[in-house]
Amino acid sequence: LADLGVERADFISVPVQDLSRAVDFYGKTLGLPQNPNTGPRWVEFELGNVSLALVSPEVMGPEFEARGHQMPIAFRVSDVDEARQKLEAEGVEFPDGTIDSGVCHLATFSDPDGNTLQLHRRYAPFADGSKP
Amino acid sequence: MQVEQVDFVSVPTRDSARAVAWYRDVLGLPVQGEKFVPNENGIALRFADVEAAVEEVRGQGAELMGIQDSGVCHMGFVKDPDGNVLILHRRYKPRG
Repeated sequence: LADLGVERADFISVPVQDLSRAVDFYGKTLGLPQNPNTGPRWVEFELGNVSLALVSPEVMGPEFEARGHQMPIAFRVSDVDEARQKLEAEGVEFPDGTIDSGVCHLATFSDPDGNTLQLHRRYAPFADGSKP
Repeated sequence: MQVEQVDFVSVPTRDSARAVAWYRDVLGLPVQGEKFVPNENGIALRFADVEAAVEEVRGQGAELMGIQDSGVCHMGFVKDPDGNVLILHRRYKPRG
C-alpha cells in the first residue's frame, strides 16, 4: 500500500460565477460559518470536517467558466424535512421529493451556480453498529 | 437550519473496483465500504510534502496536471483513473 501520508481533506472546490451571490447563498441562506481569515477573493466556509472553497473568476481570471458539481455534496442536518422547509421558505427549489434510501433521508437542490447539494441524514446504524 | 458537517462528496466512476483499488492502493485511503463520490472540481487532500506526494502518485501512473504555489500553499493537481481532479495540498502560510 502507498504511504503518502494523506492527513485529511482540506477543502472541496465549489465553482461559482458570481462570488458575492455565492457568499450570500452559502453564508446567509445555508447559514454556514465563513472562515474570517479568507476573502475577499478566496472565500472558504467551515463545515467542521472539511472546508468549502468558492472558486470564482476573482481567483481564476475573467475567462473562468464555473461548471458546477453534477454529483452532490451532502450536508448533514438533524432533520431533512425541517431543513428543507426552511430553505423552501427562502425560495430554494427542490425539483424532487425527499428520498428515503432505506438507510438515510436525502433532499437534493442546487446553489445559484448549479452545484448539486443535498440535505442528508443517515438514520440506520452502520455495519459495525455505530451511528453517525 | 444547522449544517453539522459534510457527510460525503460524490466521486463518479465508471469502474467501481478500479476506483476502490486506486484510492486504497495509490492514495492509501482507508476503505470503509461506503460509496466513493468523484467529480471534476478539485478535492484538496492534505499532505506533509506536496512535491514528494506528487512524485509518488506519478510513479503509480497518475496523470499530473500541474504544480502551483499559490502564495499561501502548494498544490499538485492530479487525476484519478476516472478523470476526477484531486489537489495534493499543503498550506504553508499561517492563517490570519
